[in-house]
Amino acid sequence: MTFLHQVLQWFADPSHWQGTGGIPHRLAEHLLMSGASVGTAALIALPLGIALGHRRRGGFYAINVSNVGRAIPSFALLVIALQVFGIGARPAFVALVALAIPPIVTNSYAGLMGVEADIREAARGMGMRERAVLFRVEIPIAMPLIMAGLRTSAVQVVATATLAALVAWGGLGRYIVDGLAQRDFVQVFCGAVLVALLSILVELGLGGIQALAIPRGLRLTSAPERPVGYPDSGLAA
Amino acid sequence: MRANRGTVIGGLFVGLAFLTAGCGSSPGASPSSSPKGSITVASFNFPESAILAQIYGQALKAKGYTVAFKLNLGSREVVEPALERGDIDLYPGYAATELEFQNKGKGEATPDAQATVAKLNTYLNAKSLEALTASGAIDENAFAVLKSGKYGSKTKLSDLTSVAAQMVLGGPPECPTRPFCAAGLTKVYGLHFKDFKALDAGGPLTKAALDQGSIDIGLIFSSDSAYSTGKYVQLQDDMHLQNADNVVPVIRKDKANDEVVSLLNSIDSKLTTDTLVSLNKKADVDKQDPDQIASDWLKSNGFTS
Amino acid sequence: MAAGMLADATDPWIRWDWVGRHIPVITAALLQHVELTAIAVGAGLLISVPFALWAWRVPLVRDPVFAVSGILYTIPSLALFAMLVPFTGLSTLTSEIGLVSYTLLILIRNIVVGLEGVPAEVREAANGMGYRPLARMIRIDFPLALPAVIAGIRIATVTTIGLVTVTAVIGQGGLGQLILEGLINDFKSPLLVGAVLSVLLAVIADISLSGLQRLATPWSQAEARA
Repeated sequence: MTFLHQVLQWFADPSHWQGTGGIPHRLAEHLLMSGASVGTAALIALPLGIALGHRRRGGFYAINVSNVGRAIPSFALLVIALQVFGIGARPAFVALVALAIPPIVTNSYAGLMGVEADIREAARGMGMRERAVLFRVEIPIAMPLIMAGLRTSAVQVVATATLAALVAWGGLGRYIVDGLAQRDFVQVFCGAVLVALLSILVELGLGGIQALAIPRGLRLTSAPERPVGYPDSGLAA
Repeated sequence: MRANRGTVIGGLFVGLAFLTAGCGSSPGASPSSSPKGSITVASFNFPESAILAQIYGQALKAKGYTVAFKLNLGSREVVEPALERGDIDLYPGYAATELEFQNKGKGEATPDAQATVAKLNTYLNAKSLEALTASGAIDENAFAVLKSGKYGSKTKLSDLTSVAAQMVLGGPPECPTRPFCAAGLTKVYGLHFKDFKALDAGGPLTKAALDQGSIDIGLIFSSDSAYSTGKYVQLQDDMHLQNADNVVPVIRKDKANDEVVSLLNSIDSKLTTDTLVSLNKKADVDKQDPDQIASDWLKSNGFTS
Repeated sequence: MAAGMLADATDPWIRWDWVGRHIPVITAALLQHVELTAIAVGAGLLISVPFALWAWRVPLVRDPVFAVSGILYTIPSLALFAMLVPFTGLSTLTSEIGLVSYTLLILIRNIVVGLEGVPAEVREAANGMGYRPLARMIRIDFPLALPAVIAGIRIATVTTIGLVTVTAVIGQGGLGQLILEGLINDFKSPLLVGAVLSVLLAVIADISLSGLQRLATPWSQAEARA
């Protein structure tokens, strides 16, 4: 039986679709944890990034929090969280929220900073109070970058949630980790395929939402590109 | 000039990459052989196995053999095939589990260590392998509940028949299909658990899961030092699911010369179950390294000076 | 494992006696980490440059090249390594194939965008001065694209340093092996040493490469001063 045949058989096996070890349950766990982590991180990071960008303050920290975040290996973060919080969903959640915050802060900050001074002046000149300027002018203009930050965060979280299987959590990473432990490489491969598909779907799906979220007046026919390493590169970096 | 600078820097990077690739360590480098030959000792991926492997290996080294270690290689599914292929020469096995691995779960193991080893050898000899004399030291699969937990009053595995359906079992990923693990609990005791959680082989994850209540019953090896703290209750194997899991060296025949055999057997005769518990304590609680623990034991038992 | 307790008597966050006795192990892990990273970024550059040049010169392939490297980047590292294991085994090769794949998007993208960022006027001026296309590429386009390229190498390096730790799960790992030991043995010292050294390594790499970036683009200093 060729490897491909074995892989197809694994997916065709009905027992792999039932129960707590089945694909639907693991998928649901994975999505729920990812969603909760990004949601919680957004609750913390969006107000922070937007406030800093609006006030034009704290730029050094807002930009560099992502550099620092990139330097911390997520594997280490998970195991440290495990030591502090015990096993299961809690350390996974804490580590994932921690990882999700930097891209949202950096990108929201950059988005708000990108609103040109003239536009803000014009809005104030029209008699808008600060709050209105923020919510009706700045945030809509910053939307592409804010969405890019959320998207980057989400893809990163889905990826790291895979690793969380190493600290006795569930999710789709379980197939990979358990398969490696038992040298069941068919299971490993199938788990990997599931995770890869999910990540690509999340990336594309959120990309679609991002495109929809840009106010009509701001949509450009060709987006200017910036190299990776600048916040508005729109990249998960 | 500017283009040259850029090219030079680029070239530096590429050169650095090649340089480090060339200086890469060769993982399979064999040590220079001594007249007595070389032996590669492997272990399963839990501390007790690594300690035993170190004990065997360091003793052989003291006798003049060139010893290489491949510790924490993995579960039996990895280690035994490696022995068959000759990637490794020796590992510390557990008699009954070795037998059931060889006979694909036929159920031939008994509580009699010698009989179990003899049967084991009928399978091993055909593969040019051999199990030596079993030690008195036993480490078998055991199942524990948290003393302060919901099921802390249970004492025997057969006590669980009425409650198993509400309990979550935790163990190594391979547990559901292993004859001395979940599969055996179902077959011998008729226990069907509510759920199974893949954790580790009686390690910190399983213990933490018991502590936190994410599992109700977990696999903790019988020689684990945690039992002596009284925190966990080892459920009695009253219907004898487990058999003679005595420590026994499993070795390739072409490495099993008289000196090696007698050395390993004399080590095994000095090992008791209490020894295993105290060795495990040094690893789990004092966080000592397996090689340190092994060399201390060998010294105090006269195998090395 | 004491759930909820930050440090108990038997396992403080760092035991210096353990560190002292394990310097060789720690050093070996560090060296393996550096080696895996250098090979990945080096090989990544070797592969990225031709593809980037191709995408730059042939606009039709730009999107497919970005798309493919983008997909590779989106796939979680553990999954990518796991997909390779059945074919290339639990080996350094598997780790390197995965690690290199992650650098491709960052490097290709930055090289292309860097080259595209060369102002049209500069190119036209060069052409007007009589530069032949190849000479112009080498002496004008490449140097001007260099800042973006080095920024890409910086990010790729820091990202790779983090990803190397994951390869501990398939037998390599560098400093990740210390982290894995901390997990398996419920032991904080190797965990902390592995994590801290990994971060330090990333920070040092980032600072060195940013220094290199400044070396390679002396005109940006002059601009800043002007």
